Amino acid sequence: MAQIEVRNLCKSFRDDAVLKGLSLSVDKGEIVALFGPSGTGKTVLLRLLAGIYAPDDGTIGLRGRDASGSPPEKRGIGMAFQNFALFPHMTARDNIASALTARKMDAAKIQRKVGAVARLLKIDHVLGHSPRELSNGQKQRTALARALVGEPDILLLDDPLRNVDAKLRYEMRLELPTLLKRAGSTVLYVTQDFKEAMALGDRIAVLLDGAIAQCDTPARIYAEPVCIGVARLFGDPTLNLVEVQPQLVDDVPEVRVGGAAIRLPASYAAAVGGNFTLGLRPESLHLVDGHAPGTIAVDLVAVTPLNEKSVLLFTMDGGNELLASEAGDRGAPRRIGPSRLALDLDTVLLFDRDSGRRFIPAGKVGAKS
Amino acid sequence: MGRISFIERVLRGLLLTLIVIFFLFPIFWILLMSFQTNEQILRIPPSLTFIPTLDNYKALISGHLVTSAGTLDIAFMRNLGNSVLLSTCSVVLALILGVPAAYAFARFKFRMSEDIAFTLLSFRFAPPLLVLLPLSLFFESLGLVDTYVGLIWVYQLIALPLILWIVRGYFEDISSDIENAYRIAGHSWARTFFKIAVPLAGPGIAAAGLLSFIFCWNNFVFALVLASADKQPVTVGALAFVTASGIQYGQVAAAIVLSVTPTLLLALYAQRWLVEGLSLGAVKG
Amino acid sequence: MTSQPIDDSVRVVHRRPIEWLPYILSLPALLVCVGILIPFITALYYSTLRFRLNLPALKGFIWFGNYTNLLYDPEFWNTVGVSLRYTAISVGVELLLGLIVALLLQRQTRINNMISVLLLLPLMTAPAIAALMWKLMTNPNFGVLSYLVSLAGISDFRWASSPSSALFTVILVDVWVYTPFIMVLLLAGLRSLPQQPFEAAALDGVPRLFVFFRITLPMLSPYIITASLFRLLDAIQQFDIVYAMTQGGPGNTLLVFQVRAYLEFYQYTNVGKSAALLVVLWAITYFLSNIFIKNWLRLRERSHASA
Repeated sequence: MAQIEVRNLCKSFRDDAVLKGLSLSVDKGEIVALFGPSGTGKTVLLRLLAGIYAPDDGTIGLRGRDASGSPPEKRGIGMAFQNFALFPHMTARDNIASALTARKMDAAKIQRKVGAVARLLKIDHVLGHSPRELSNGQKQRTALARALVGEPDILLLDDPLRNVDAKLRYEMRLELPTLLKRAGSTVLYVTQDFKEAMALGDRIAVLLDGAIAQCDTPARIYAEPVCIGVARLFGDPTLNLVEVQPQLVDDVPEVRVGGAAIRLPASYAAAVGGNFTLGLRPESLHLVDGHAPGTIAVDLVAVTPLNEKSVLLFTMDGGNELLASEAGDRGAPRRIGPSRLALDLDTVLLFDRDSGRRFIPAGKVGAKS
Repeated sequence: MGRISFIERVLRGLLLTLIVIFFLFPIFWILLMSFQTNEQILRIPPSLTFIPTLDNYKALISGHLVTSAGTLDIAFMRNLGNSVLLSTCSVVLALILGVPAAYAFARFKFRMSEDIAFTLLSFRFAPPLLVLLPLSLFFESLGLVDTYVGLIWVYQLIALPLILWIVRGYFEDISSDIENAYRIAGHSWARTFFKIAVPLAGPGIAAAGLLSFIFCWNNFVFALVLASADKQPVTVGALAFVTASGIQYGQVAAAIVLSVTPTLLLALYAQRWLVEGLSLGAVKG
Repeated sequence: MTSQPIDDSVRVVHRRPIEWLPYILSLPALLVCVGILIPFITALYYSTLRFRLNLPALKGFIWFGNYTNLLYDPEFWNTVGVSLRYTAISVGVELLLGLIVALLLQRQTRINNMISVLLLLPLMTAPAIAALMWKLMTNPNFGVLSYLVSLAGISDFRWASSPSSALFTVILVDVWVYTPFIMVLLLAGLRSLPQQPFEAAALDGVPRLFVFFRITLPMLSPYIITASLFRLLDAIQQFDIVYAMTQGGPGNTLLVFQVRAYLEFYQYTNVGKSAALLVVLWAITYFLSNIFIKNWLRLRERSHASA
């Protein structure tokens, strides 16, 4: 039985339909990263789960029971807000303790628990401060402590690392998964950063157009995106898109990219004749010497060294641009000018041009959505 | 600012001094008068140097006036007590009724809220007699004629709109996520209201309360129309006092001083919030 | 609240729970509203009646009779004239004086802040009591102002007792009490103005009079308009000062609207006429307050946006 079970959730604000029939299932102890572009309703979903908003339609199940009609204070959830939402007139200690004072717990026990979680998050030395006196990082950890101290079995984290500086964000990205796993809670973690989603989530739920487009492990989301919308959200730089129409040439499905004839595996036979968009991940394009068949003639226009990788910008016949990325900066300066690119055919993605859905080559199982 | 010439600076200083004298002189003069005997007051030309006396205040406080025509009993202290009672109770009641309503208006956007809010606001600008005169006829049939309760209820018409409009703004300025966080932490709506919303809106509530007190205290026409003789506050009482015959002017001055001192002191204490209160929450000081 | 296990076969339809909380919280405010509307409608009703408290048997409908009587009543037009003159002159003087004081005090220095607080004191005195204060000061026998005026060579200036100077006297009291109101609002407005336009003008060497009329004044206009409307609305229905000073006299020189209505009710016990007068006054203030509320709301939004 799923810990969080959302079915067909609909929510509109005035005339704006934000969630349109959203369904999601999170198992006990799982960390699911809720990912999507801004304004798509991720925060709205969290608030519906917490009971701050009421849905227009659909059901919300928590721990196997219908939660609608249950007010926020009875849902037994821990939540950390994006803007911290700390109580300005209380110390950090009292902020964290507020999650426990609603229960009949004696003061000493509350203080012990607060101290324990504060030590865990390394804010025990600022517990006596008011929120005004805390740095952003300390505020974020206080908000997190408040969500964690009650040891809730369901945790909702609304982009808690957003307002935190880059260095701390990196540190927390390493610490958080351990922290959350140790707590054993079921976690729904909202983020707009795909790298964060891939780093933290057991599964990633991609929110597009008011519903979950795909909910899968990071690896499968990356390698087997269910549609072009999902594919475009992952990868830096974003994947290259080329419009193609596969033809059968010598019994082999073939597409033309920048004038070059690329032969696709036989499992793509069913795609012949249709209109598609070919998705090429930057890291699947390699510079090669020579003029082997299946390589594309390109012009190297610019190189951007980014320490751990370099991004290369090419133009093809017809003016289209391609981005490739390769690890390291290779030391030797790159020669601008005509070059040739080879593709990794096993990472190639084909999307139907009308529906956006990925074409699934014969023999493969479609991804879970 | 070095472009201001010396002459200009002198002129500005002069103008400002004249203005300050104009606005503060009457208060100062009446204060002076309250410490003078009748003879000193009637002396022409009026003099700034005299030996002050506390007789006027003593007479007022004790309630006995010795005039040339004999002894009079004046219950001005009773007026003062009425003012304190009416203003305090009205403000307390208005806070109890108005703060939750202000919260409802701030947090829940429901149809009736705007209608109520605007009716109360527009009443602020309608002639009070329009409502008071019919009310005075109703009071008899309602049995409210010689009561404090009737007056306190009617004084809500002064205090409640002010409290609603000022406190509503303060509640609106509190991020609702703070309240949501407290509720998710396990607390009921009522606890959230008392432990989070009200403390955070505290300054606004205090400002609204202080200002309502000043306006209730200074009110004249409500009490004139509806208050029975022994329940009149100082505003009406002082007028009656003046028109009574044989009153010594020093005592009148002392009565005036006693009538205005509470509000003047409160105003000095609450000065930070006066702009906001006077503009009904439109302008932050 | 009930919670059932989710059943795949049943699609639960949800109705939003009725939010009764806000209505309960606003109940007192609603009651007060009702408490205002009932007498108000009653007053409207009375204005259509021939109704004198001392002749209850004659009570009856005369529809707009009271209103047409007013139109033909020279006393009514006297009331209109006095009220308009009172309003126009006092608000005009207060605006000018308030603006001058606000300009003089706009720099945030300790002295300026202290003065602006002291200048609030007249506003905080009850207008009725203020009238009494001035009454004492203008007393012909011992009033300090009578004395000062006599020094200037004007003997026997009778202030509020003389028809020719009564209006002047009450306007003087009004100006004394209410100018600080305008000063306070305009001062808050001046101090909230962005500094860049002024710094730019100073850098460009723009003459100060030009800066004042073309930059300061236009930026200050929402505050000026709000303050003026506030005062206009209050001045046209002024009661306390006039009543405390002379009860409307001498003669009919100070019979402004509410004073007249009050006397009609209590002295002449003519409820119908009194109600009609008040309804006319209400119509004027209703019209003005609609304009006012729009401006006031705009100012309020601006304040809260920058908060």
